[in-house]
Amino acid sequence: MNGHVKNMHFQQFMETAATLLSLLLLMTVDSTKTVAASKNPQCGNLLQQTLKISRIVHKESGDLIKTYKAAQGEMSELFCKVSVNDIPDPNISGLDPPARIASIYTHLQAFLPHFKRVYKQQTDLQLPGSPLLKELNTVRGRTENLASCINTFYQSLFPNLPIPEPAGGPTTLPPAQNVFQQKVYGCVVLKTYKDFMSNVSKELRNLKSKVCKKRTPRNAF
Amino acid sequence: MVFAAVLHLCVLAWLASVLAADDYHLVIAPQSPVVQIGSNFTATCMIINTTEVTADDLYWKCSEIIPKEHYIKINSSALNVTVTIRSEKSEWLLCKCKTVSQYVALNEGKFIHGILLRKGYRPEKPKNLSCIAVHESEKISSNIRCQWEAVGNQTEAVPTSYTLFVRQIGSDKVYTASILGPVNSTTVDMNFFPYHMELEIWVVAQNELGKEESEHLIKLANCFVKTKPPSVTVISEAVFPTSLVMNWTSSIDKRYLEMIYEIRFCPLGSQTWLYVPLADTSRYIQSFRLQNLRPDTVYVTQVRCKYNNKNCGYWSDWSRNVTERTPEDLPKSKPDVWIITSAEGINKRQIEFICKDPEFSNGRIRRFNITIEKQKYRIKNGTWEIIPVNRSLTDGSSSKKQITPLKTILLDDEESVTVYVTAINSVGTSPQAKLIISRKTREPPAVEKMEVQSHNGQLLLSWKPPNRTVSEYVVEWSSDGERNWQRENGKANCTKIKGDLKRFVHYRISVYPIYGKLVGKPVHEQAYAEQGVPSQAPTVNLSGDPGCYTAKLEWDEIPLIKRHGFITNYTIYYRSGTETHGITVPPNTTSYTLTSLSRNTKYDIWIKASTIRGSVNGSNHSFTTLKYAPGEIEGIVVGVSLGFLFVVLMTMLLCFCKKDVIKDNFWPQIPNPGDSTIGNWSPDYPLKAEAPRENCLSGISVLNVDVCDAKCVFEEDKASLPLKKDKYLSEEHSSGIGGSSCMSSPRQSVSDSDEGGDMADTTASTIQYSSVVASSGYKGQNPSSLPQQSIFSRSESTQPLLDCEENHDTMVQEGSRQCFLRQPCFNHNAGNENATDSNDFNPLEMEQQEVLDFCPLEEDTEHTAPKDCQSDDWIPATVSSYMPQLGGYRPQ
Repeated sequence: MNGHVKNMHFQQFMETAATLLSLLLLMTVDSTKTVAASKNPQCGNLLQQTLKISRIVHKESGDLIKTYKAAQGEMSELFCKVSVNDIPDPNISGLDPPARIASIYTHLQAFLPHFKRVYKQQTDLQLPGSPLLKELNTVRGRTENLASCINTFYQSLFPNLPIPEPAGGPTTLPPAQNVFQQKVYGCVVLKTYKDFMSNVSKELRNLKSKVCKKRTPRNAF
Repeated sequence: MVFAAVLHLCVLAWLASVLAADDYHLVIAPQSPVVQIGSNFTATCMIINTTEVTADDLYWKCSEIIPKEHYIKINSSALNVTVTIRSEKSEWLLCKCKTVSQYVALNEGKFIHGILLRKGYRPEKPKNLSCIAVHESEKISSNIRCQWEAVGNQTEAVPTSYTLFVRQIGSDKVYTASILGPVNSTTVDMNFFPYHMELEIWVVAQNELGKEESEHLIKLANCFVKTKPPSVTVISEAVFPTSLVMNWTSSIDKRYLEMIYEIRFCPLGSQTWLYVPLADTSRYIQSFRLQNLRPDTVYVTQVRCKYNNKNCGYWSDWSRNVTERTPEDLPKSKPDVWIITSAEGINKRQIEFICKDPEFSNGRIRRFNITIEKQKYRIKNGTWEIIPVNRSLTDGSSSKKQITPLKTILLDDEESVTVYVTAINSVGTSPQAKLIISRKTREPPAVEKMEVQSHNGQLLLSWKPPNRTVSEYVVEWSSDGERNWQRENGKANCTKIKGDLKRFVHYRISVYPIYGKLVGKPVHEQAYAEQGVPSQAPTVNLSGDPGCYTAKLEWDEIPLIKRHGFITNYTIYYRSGTETHGITVPPNTTSYTLTSLSRNTKYDIWIKASTIRGSVNGSNHSFTTLKYAPGEIEGIVVGVSLGFLFVVLMTMLLCFCKKDVIKDNFWPQIPNPGDSTIGNWSPDYPLKAEAPRENCLSGISVLNVDVCDAKCVFEEDKASLPLKKDKYLSEEHSSGIGGSSCMSSPRQSVSDSDEGGDMADTTASTIQYSSVVASSGYKGQNPSSLPQQSIFSRSESTQPLLDCEENHDTMVQEGSRQCFLRQPCFNHNAGNENATDSNDFNPLEMEQQEVLDFCPLEEDTEHTAPKDCQSDDWIPATVSSYMPQLGGYRPQ
């Protein structure tokens, strides 16, 4: 029994040790990555640039929703909160910065077809030269710029890690919709995008302190 | 190189095959070339489809025939030419063939081929590329406008086009815009402005000769932004009299562009901006406190902004002016007190104290306090007199300090006073200003050798300081009703008047040395900041009436305000007809007498006033000189009268003195026939019976009356003719002797000689008096005298009786006027010569001739011309010539 108990204890100890070692290894790897990223002199600038663009996109997405709602006439706020399939999740996934940065990138890429569709739908609903169309176009273009910046930032941080494309291949779009559905769809897309951009701004601010640390005196040794 | 040659031949072969179909015999390669100016160009001419000519028969022509040394013969059917392209103008290069055969001559068109050389320059690299994106409405424009500097030349034949490229780094987006030169700017539309994205911009110059790319401009998009200026507000806080707080709002959201700012400010009216150091504002701020400002001063503020990047970005325009006045503070300097002194009666002075606000009044001066201490009695008044100041807020802000009259006092010349003045604003009282006015007889010395010069509308003063130490100088200038002053350091010996001097205004400049607080003796000068032409010339007027040759002119001085400068001289012009004279007189002259004028002439006069800057003419004034000077006519009349009187007197005197001569001339002494040696002749009847009946005709006997007599004799005589006839008939022995001296006229002797047929009997040396002298004729004048025996005698005397008779020539001349008068008589007598005894004496004729002898004086007065005697009207003249004669005898 004692032997069994000893084995049991040993086994438990070994499991604990393995877990700790795993954690330690994970922390070490994570620390290595962080240090590797922080050694890039462009990190701060790229992140700063990305952060600034994300703030602009965030601001403009908020403005876009207001413009969108104003352009759609009487429309309940609730309609913008309904769930629509195939619209990207506003939350950023991933545990570590590369994953989260990659998530941001994939989300941005995923939103682009939706913007394109909303723009197309609104082209039929709005007069040419409408501010909404202009803002939609601007936000879409700005999103592309942001995605480009995220990509550059990611590649500068993790040159050996390929940036993933949106999961499941190209973004799938919902089937044909009537006008009301189009309005609801557009509003949900814009609202989700705004939420997403809010998360992106927060995430990038967090990343600023994580991945682009200033060199410590330790590095001087 | 080999490839090019092969290509060249291939093209040539292709061309040959193409042109062969058209039956041309010459072809040039390359076709339609674009050639670079300054390079060598080679063309080949090939003979095709004929053997009539060879390459030796070909020649090249551009603007003129190209010399053969530029040719290279490839083979018998191909000829190369190499030319250097120099001019910019496009021209034709022709390959031609000499007329070597009949066929060539007949088909000349087939033996010529040409290509147009389009010439141009290879484009060069554009320089100084710069781009800008301007702020439109609320966002930055999506259009980026770029400009560059085109380098090199281009021709019309080969123009250069420019293509602007804008690439967004990190994406594949490239925006382009093209423009044809020589325009060197264009705009690219990027759909939306890519904030915070890096852009790569370049421009490509391209033409048919090549292309060149400018340097690539790689910058953040924000670097190309030029925003609108921010909106500014300024706030003053009463507790901080030396500061103002500026607030502004950025024209664009910070998320798009983070700005830095620049601030400038200045007191209102100042021409110089003060800039806040960029180090204090080169960050994203939205307010700023301006410090160390002057209290109670209006400041103008402006702000501009730029993208927060040291190395790039455009400053916006300056924001609009925002003005704000700083709060008031205590006056920090003394009021500037001064005096205006003027004489008032004997040994008295009137002194007016005037004052300017303190230089650092730090607020609107509400009142002045003044107290005057008479030093003679060492009495200080002790009480402050309050002089309120009524001045609007704007007056205080003006750059020109207001002058406030404080008080006027009368002061003895032997009295001195000290004045103390303070200025009070809403916050408090200024330091005390002091001034001492000394006794007039003991005024401290003045400066020496003061000079004033005008330069560029300013007045520069210089002086020699007095021997005593001067604490400061007061330079005062005054014009018509305006006065101002400034203070200079005691060590200064020159200065410039800082006031706003007006052009063409006369200023009186004074320099007062101040010894401590004691006012010294002033020195004055006159000056103009800038002289001009007088605006008005004096009006010249006559002083009194003009004379014959002179006129005195007077004019008033030009009013000081209209002189516009120092008068250098006056020029008086006077004009008669087309002749104008000018006389220049000194500037201090106000009258002048014109001389050398002509009498009775109209003159236009005017005066010209001159300064160093020019002259102005006054208005015309006309006058006419007198024909006669006053008293001249009276003088002439008096002179003539005196002359006449003198002549009369002289004549009278002469007559008186020469009365004997006159008597002899006019009343000659008739020789007494009694004294004559002539033989006595007794009449047939006694004298007693011949007492004269009439005075005038006494002793006259008319012997004959004929037609001539009827004509010649006066009517009165006619009336008396019967009587005469009667007398003649009754007294046929009377010979018509009437006591007239003319009875002895020498002419009578001529008639006597005529009537006598025996002229030869008379001797030439003997003048026979044909007159029959009747002694009784004189008796008629003296009726009371005893009657004398009438003796008719012919004088045999050769002695002249009268002077007139002696002056035979004169009498002949005088008588020549009467010759025609006498002639009829003589003719008549001659006609009747036979009927009348030649020896008979014709008394009537005698009478007539004697009468004629009395005529000359009267004829002279009548001025009867001799020819008149020849006219048919001579009879009345003759008659009139007898009238005085008859009258003259009447008294007799």
